[in-house]
Amino acid sequence: MARITIDPITRLEGHGRIEIFLDDAGEVENVFFQIPELRGFERFVVGRPAEDMPVITNRICGVCPEAHHMAATKALDDLFMVDPPAAAKKLRELFYNAFFVTDHTTHFYALGGPDFIVGPDAPPAKRNLIGVIEKVGLEVGGMVIACRKRNHEIIKMLGGRSIHPAAGLPGGWSKPMSEAERVEVEKASRENVEFALFSLKAFDDIVLKNDGFRELILGDVFHHRTYSMGTVDAQNRVNFYDGQIRVVDQGGAEVLKYPCRDYATHIAERVEPWTYLKFPYLKKIGWKGFVDGPESGVYAATPLTRLNVSASMATPLAQEHFERMYAIFGGGPVHHRLATHWARLIELLYAAERMLELSLDPEITSPEVRTIPSGEINPKGGIGSVEAPRGTLTHHYEANERGLVTRANLIVGTTNNYAPITMSIKRAAEKLIKGGKVVEEGILNRIEMAFRLYDPCFSCATHALDGRSGLKVVIRDASGGVVESFGG
Amino acid sequence: MVGIGNPVRGDDSVGLVVARRVREAAGDGLVVEELWTGGLKLAEALVGFEAAVVVDATSTGGVAPGTVRLLEAGDYGSCLNLACLHDATLPDALCALKKLGAPLPSRVWVVGVEIELTDHLSEELTPAVSQAVCGAVEAVFSVLDRGE
Repeated sequence: MARITIDPITRLEGHGRIEIFLDDAGEVENVFFQIPELRGFERFVVGRPAEDMPVITNRICGVCPEAHHMAATKALDDLFMVDPPAAAKKLRELFYNAFFVTDHTTHFYALGGPDFIVGPDAPPAKRNLIGVIEKVGLEVGGMVIACRKRNHEIIKMLGGRSIHPAAGLPGGWSKPMSEAERVEVEKASRENVEFALFSLKAFDDIVLKNDGFRELILGDVFHHRTYSMGTVDAQNRVNFYDGQIRVVDQGGAEVLKYPCRDYATHIAERVEPWTYLKFPYLKKIGWKGFVDGPESGVYAATPLTRLNVSASMATPLAQEHFERMYAIFGGGPVHHRLATHWARLIELLYAAERMLELSLDPEITSPEVRTIPSGEINPKGGIGSVEAPRGTLTHHYEANERGLVTRANLIVGTTNNYAPITMSIKRAAEKLIKGGKVVEEGILNRIEMAFRLYDPCFSCATHALDGRSGLKVVIRDASGGVVESFGG
Repeated sequence: MVGIGNPVRGDDSVGLVVARRVREAAGDGLVVEELWTGGLKLAEALVGFEAAVVVDATSTGGVAPGTVRLLEAGDYGSCLNLACLHDATLPDALCALKKLGAPLPSRVWVVGVEIELTDHLSEELTPAVSQAVCGAVEAVFSVLDRGE
């Protein structure tokens, strides 16, 4: 059996290792995607005061501390059985959407965007932020950095005045927003909306109007029919901060809708011997392996699936773009995975509009931002979830009568997508490696595109290395000997 | 001076520990920051400064844990947090900001402290790395004093 290995970063922590096995006919037989696990988390937090969890868990990931902070804060609301005042929820949601704006912007221009804006066949040295700036121009590059800067300021301002978020408390938020701050947020929100619209237009001009890219998005290589998951409000419109978790099938029919408290009832985890991480799947449907279709309980949780489970968007401009995307695909749900990049931009627009709405809400500067908990601990534990940019994020803690953590569980956004990512890589590999066809740079990049669209939180390889892809490909024959190798 | 690292992944936090020690010993004129990720966020933090030193954990597997080195660009791949896997390497991020006209330091040095990788969470440094903190702090001041 010949073997093609993509082993991008051998020394950086959190990297994924993709191994593609060919059979004797040179066809892809199997793909294994191994990732290091966040091990010892439970052991690490047990015995600590539960109230500390928002500032302990926010350290797990330097890229999305806001997501963990928010999920932890909501888990504490549940653990201490306290309902925050309306103004606190709005303030939290406003803060959280500012985070979404920066994260989605950065992903599009620095990570996913290079695949399209520069092109999948460009040399690795150009498939990065610099290549994007060279292609779209300095003015646009400046807009990206300005977007990050103004939203980082807001996150710092609302999140506890430090680089790392610390304002979440059980029952509310540590500090109300002043009118001066509100004015600043409103201004930034308007700029965010303009920039989101601009980015969608850029996507239209550069990607959708390009036949090659259009074909890539609408074609078969990145196409999978799994269940879709996302968090929605009462009208089934995606909400990043709060709501119920909704799952729809391949045709769009609702299969599940549940509060995050019931996650264990609906989601089971599959153990495979070749990786530490477990594969979540829908209990109701069951595990049938790494396969598509209604019989298989595999689901995905991404910007695309969040739109798939939404009947509409809660803000008007995002709604227009939502309708347009589904019209081009002939209705929803959309299973062409590269459309995730498009969905991410629609979410960017929604996050910007939602920030503006909240900044104009008369309650947003209310001083009532905290309900003090009584001190009683929920004997059933506390569970909180949010939509992280990369998928539904769930925190679950149990604590004793002194408020010390006795048990904890975390399902991070990317974990939901572990099986789909593996399947997407395999599908791309199957379509692009045939009859022992020698693998070339562009083809391998397309395989990586299959997992980069998920913006996985454990491996984003190539663009991150100094000018080189760092991509190492090893083709082995049936006896394991090296036939050929590329890159590295 | 920026110390980068992950505060809950044991020796991966060495850059942050070094930053704290540098802050204690530093006078005015040196701004010390701790960041939990590199890439664009790190590059953005360097804007407006004349010179900068970054301290990060490295994992080359080729030197003993606790080894402190001044790194060349070719060594950056062994740093744990210098590149942000969600946006860019440090050189790419700096290059991008430079193209956009941001005032960046004329020199950015990177000091690496070798560690052994582990998946387990911990807020403590292992003995070998803990003993290297002093040397790393000295390296930071030495580089800034030399100003080369």
